[in-house]
Amino acid sequence: MKVSSYLKPEHCLLDLKSANKEDAIKEIAIHFADKGIVKDKAAFTAEILKREKIGSTGIGCGVAIPHARTNAVGEFVLGFGRSEKGIEFDSIDGTKVHLIFVIGTNLKELNLYLRFLAELSRLIMNENFRNALLRAQRPEEIVSIINKYEKIKPLN
Amino acid sequence: MSINNIVVSVTGGEQSIITTKYAIYLAKLLNAKLTAVYVVDKKSLHDLLKSRIFVEIEALEFERELEQQGKHFLERAKKLADTKQIQYEGLLLEGVIHEQVVSKTKALNADLLVMGELKEIISIKETYFDEGERIFREAPCPVVVVKNAQKVEALYKEV
Repeated sequence: MKVSSYLKPEHCLLDLKSANKEDAIKEIAIHFADKGIVKDKAAFTAEILKREKIGSTGIGCGVAIPHARTNAVGEFVLGFGRSEKGIEFDSIDGTKVHLIFVIGTNLKELNLYLRFLAELSRLIMNENFRNALLRAQRPEEIVSIINKYEKIKPLN
Repeated sequence: MSINNIVVSVTGGEQSIITTKYAIYLAKLLNAKLTAVYVVDKKSLHDLLKSRIFVEIEALEFERELEQQGKHFLERAKKLADTKQIQYEGLLLEGVIHEQVVSKTKALNADLLVMGELKEIISIKETYFDEGERIFREAPCPVVVVKNAQKVEALYKEV
């Protein structure tokens, strides 16, 4: 499972303007939806926000992974956003979120979705990986960093 | 010694249909029994719940859908096996995919394990985590990795 193969530089926003969770999710989702990879922008954003209402996807360490399975997307889609100031996300550890991965997939891709989230979750546990994403200067670097850390042998 | 007992590991996608068709082809050719194994990946669900990416209700719903997908696939495989008149059993298991497939293959004393094409390995890390890789390396019997859908379809039609 290669997370980096699903992320394109044009789907990365390195300077989110939004000040709150809902706006940040919309900003990222609409940005990559505008690239034509989402069938129904409004439905996609609504599904992501609906999932967020069940429980925050702010998983701690300054990271959030808003996600949804919906027919508003034809295939697996991934967008990334970064906020320097940080955004209140009701995260498990109470910290502000700086790195946001927005994920969408259709209703059929069960196993792909599961494996993708598991792999992304493993990457995010690595503090060096998170710091590298925070330091990246260009969207292309985000993809390169993910690619680099995917190749690192785990400690356990 | 002959091949009497074949296990096919399936994940539910379209590639799994090709894998199953090749396993049916082999079972027909060798007059062997075929057991299809689908594993609900509860380990990943548990990990995602633990890391808070999933909430409980979401994980439960996902688990139900994986079970449904597994049942649906095994029924589809049964219809294919019935068409070719071979002895077939479908098993829906849960847990860590490679552990379940390997342990069931051992328990059934299978002579051959059939599985889908392995993914491209991009790092050493993947050999640790990729379920297909682990099934391939840890299987207790010879393993057949199915490739070339077109050829498989042609062979399946022949028997």
